[in-house]
Amino acid sequence: MTLVFSNLRKQYGANVAINDVSTEFAPGLIHGVIGPNGAGKSTLINMTAGSYTVSAGSISLDGRRLDGMKKHQIANSGIARTYQNIRLFDQMTVLENLEVCSYPTEVRNTWREVLWPPYGRVRAEARRESGMEILRFFGLEGYADAEAGSLPYGRQRMLEIARALAMNARVLLLDEPAAGLNHHETAELTAKLAELRSPDRIMLVVEHDMDLVMTLCDRIVVMHHGKLLFQGTPAEVQASSDVQLAYLGTVNDIDDIRAAAQDRRAQLGIRARRRS
Amino acid sequence: MLGTLIQQTVNALTIGSIYALIALGYTMVYGVLRMINFAHGEMFMLGAYAAFLALTLFVGEIGAIGALGLTIAFFGAVVAVGFFGVGIERLAYKPLRNSTRLAPMLSSLGVSLTLVTGIQILAGPQPVAFPSFFPTTRYDFMGGTVTSVQIGILIAAFVLMFALYTLVNRSRMGIIVRAVSESRPTAQLLGINVNLAISAVFFAGPLLGAAGGILYASYYGIMSPSMGAVIGLKAFTAAILGGIGSIPGAMLGAYILAFVEVGGTALLPLITNGVLGTEYRDVLSFVILILVLLVKPAGILGEPVSEESMVYKREF
Amino acid sequence: MSAVGISQSPKPQASRLVALLVLAAIAALVAATPFLPNYHIRVVNSLLIYILLGIGLNIVIGYTGLLDLGFVAFYAVGAYTYALLASPQLDLHLPFLLIVGIAAVLGMITGILLGIPVLKLRGDYLAIVTLGFGEIIRIVVNNVDWLTGGPKGIARLDKASVLGVEIARPVEIYWLLLVTVFLVGLFVWRLERSILGKAWAAIREDQDAARGIGINTTNAKLAAFATSATIGAIAGTIFAASQRFVSPESFTLQESVLIVLMIVIGGIGNILGIVAGAAILILLPEMLREFAEWRILFLGILMVVLIIVRPAGIVPRSFGPEKLIRGLFGK
Repeated sequence: MTLVFSNLRKQYGANVAINDVSTEFAPGLIHGVIGPNGAGKSTLINMTAGSYTVSAGSISLDGRRLDGMKKHQIANSGIARTYQNIRLFDQMTVLENLEVCSYPTEVRNTWREVLWPPYGRVRAEARRESGMEILRFFGLEGYADAEAGSLPYGRQRMLEIARALAMNARVLLLDEPAAGLNHHETAELTAKLAELRSPDRIMLVVEHDMDLVMTLCDRIVVMHHGKLLFQGTPAEVQASSDVQLAYLGTVNDIDDIRAAAQDRRAQLGIRARRRS
Repeated sequence: MLGTLIQQTVNALTIGSIYALIALGYTMVYGVLRMINFAHGEMFMLGAYAAFLALTLFVGEIGAIGALGLTIAFFGAVVAVGFFGVGIERLAYKPLRNSTRLAPMLSSLGVSLTLVTGIQILAGPQPVAFPSFFPTTRYDFMGGTVTSVQIGILIAAFVLMFALYTLVNRSRMGIIVRAVSESRPTAQLLGINVNLAISAVFFAGPLLGAAGGILYASYYGIMSPSMGAVIGLKAFTAAILGGIGSIPGAMLGAYILAFVEVGGTALLPLITNGVLGTEYRDVLSFVILILVLLVKPAGILGEPVSEESMVYKREF
Repeated sequence: MSAVGISQSPKPQASRLVALLVLAAIAALVAATPFLPNYHIRVVNSLLIYILLGIGLNIVIGYTGLLDLGFVAFYAVGAYTYALLASPQLDLHLPFLLIVGIAAVLGMITGILLGIPVLKLRGDYLAIVTLGFGEIIRIVVNNVDWLTGGPKGIARLDKASVLGVEIARPVEIYWLLLVTVFLVGLFVWRLERSILGKAWAAIREDQDAARGIGINTTNAKLAAFATSATIGAIAGTIFAASQRFVSPESFTLQESVLIVLMIVIGGIGNILGIVAGAAILILLPEMLREFAEWRILFLGILMVVLIIVRPAGIVPRSFGPEKLIRGLFGK
């Protein structure tokens, strides 16, 4: 079971957002996708999930081509995603956000559910129980009957991941799951994501938070201007001079920045206050 | 044959001009607020009634309706409806600016019902004869008859549309309105007075619609409280056909629709051997509306919705 | 109640009291109606038909979040089906229940046919297209004289009879409507709570995210449209059978808008809200007899005011039948 990008290309008129990207994502690992803004990271997720069309090349899971399929078909092929700007079903309860994920498998029984109450009760209980199980894993069970939109931001991010899990997906595409989270919440998130590592699961995490990426990911793909710049383990990525030049910056860069800041302060006559 | 062609062309241009005046109101409101104003057809209707009111006041005061009286009545009525439009926006739509996309539309449905029944109560539900604002002389032009009413309508409409075009593209207010149409949040951040821009649109749109109403009532000699409904829908079709949100598009769509209507109602009985007659004229516009929305919802001059906006904004 | 403590419902005591009051009012009306004079029974029948229509349209507007402004088209399909199959017009005189079945199927087909092209449109365009479709149906019905009787309509429709019992007097129609509203209401209520109902809610919230979790939104929306159309058609059939006369006048755009108004004012997405909305729509002019014209004016203003002040409608969404029942038994 592998997710394969093959000569992937995405073009908007003259603007090439993804330029001939080929790589593979194996199960049992957490893959990070990093790069400067505009490098194409989210575009990769959007193309895989079917939100964007593919200009050229292909995306396949287990040899089955995903590009060209409709969004819901891709989702039912085992791809789950979260969004950069959280898109929960705000006015539905937390539990309902998860329960509704059983629709693809359960919709065919709707007539029975509606006309035969005992069966309906059984199904509803089953859905509730599976939902609660996932909520418990994320520590959200206390919010089960609250409106999803009323949850604190950090919890909403967790809920989005919980919903992706409720889809029983083989592939998890997480688009900046730590955006807007504070230090503590990010640590919590990192721990939870690590727990999700599984030989039946492919995990892709697009992120800007380097601590998270370096700690969590087993393999990192570095994007730059739509091209795949580098891929390797965290150590390899950090050591790569290409990556440092393009994105991470070097130790020298930091010294340069500090020196420039000091000059500017001197120019403006601001005295740097020492913190004791 | 040429005479008929000339005749029909003038007919189409005339009715197209009226559609254009109303369509502009729809498209401008959609441009700034992304909302379909179901009450816009009623601005059309109110224009006719307001002009009628002005005229009866004049007849009472001055005793005769001269050209001056007509002009004052015309401008008075359209300006009054313009201010009325601003008032409606403040009352019924402004509070809903940050609500769901559905809410202002539902509100405009309520406004529409209120206005129609309001006029029904005030002035009675039956149609009322409407005096012509133009001298009724007929001219023979290459075998076809053109009335001065039609000429008057064409001139009035072109003048108004030209004025709008100039305002939108060359005045400061026009830039502000266009900025708000592009992106309201950005305009706000830039310190643009968004409320003013929206009010301006709700002044100009109803004003033009009212003008259309007066011209329409002059042309057909009749007005009624429910005259806004069907015409409103046709004008909306025109705006969509041309590309909703685009001012040139609204004008283009209006004339195309008018020509299709005039041509269609002439040809329909011929094609279907009398089975489908001119009563199906209205059906024709609805069919066009549905086809445009299915095949090319962006219209002729409009921009299609981008992929990216689908991912980052909630779809309605 | 949630552990988070963000609770918007009133205290249990008040809620229970309101629930009991509402149930008592409904029960009183239901029980008393057969003993009222015919005129009042007809008013209640009118109320019940609008409740039925509201339940149908609510599936599309309230549950799925799509603005259908041409709902009368399905209502008309049901009514004219009866008019054509049980009258001198085509000299067909089929039994009532059979016609209801046929009308339901025709309604469903019409709903699907309308839905297929229309459901990929954005919300505001959907509203306009459904409006246009409703108008097309009306104009066509108005003009195809030889079949539909044109503006004059079709009169002298057969009396309905169910299992040998004739249903012609207002009180008999009342029972028929009561049973129908109850059965349909029950069905729709259970439908909302099923997995399909949850999918509809997800589509209403965020259609794209709904696709992202694997919901085939086109099919789900089609199901909503088809179900609502079926109910509209059934309502139309009973309407025709009770009036024993149909004409295009009953199926105008304003009628569609009024049904939408009724749902919005009463409370979107909520069967009790529909009852409330229908009550306002029907009972108001009865109480303000002299001001019949003012009814719609008042409704228009009420609509605007409510949308601004209380968009969820008079009856909050959460105040559904479960709440009533729980209120009664104090669970």
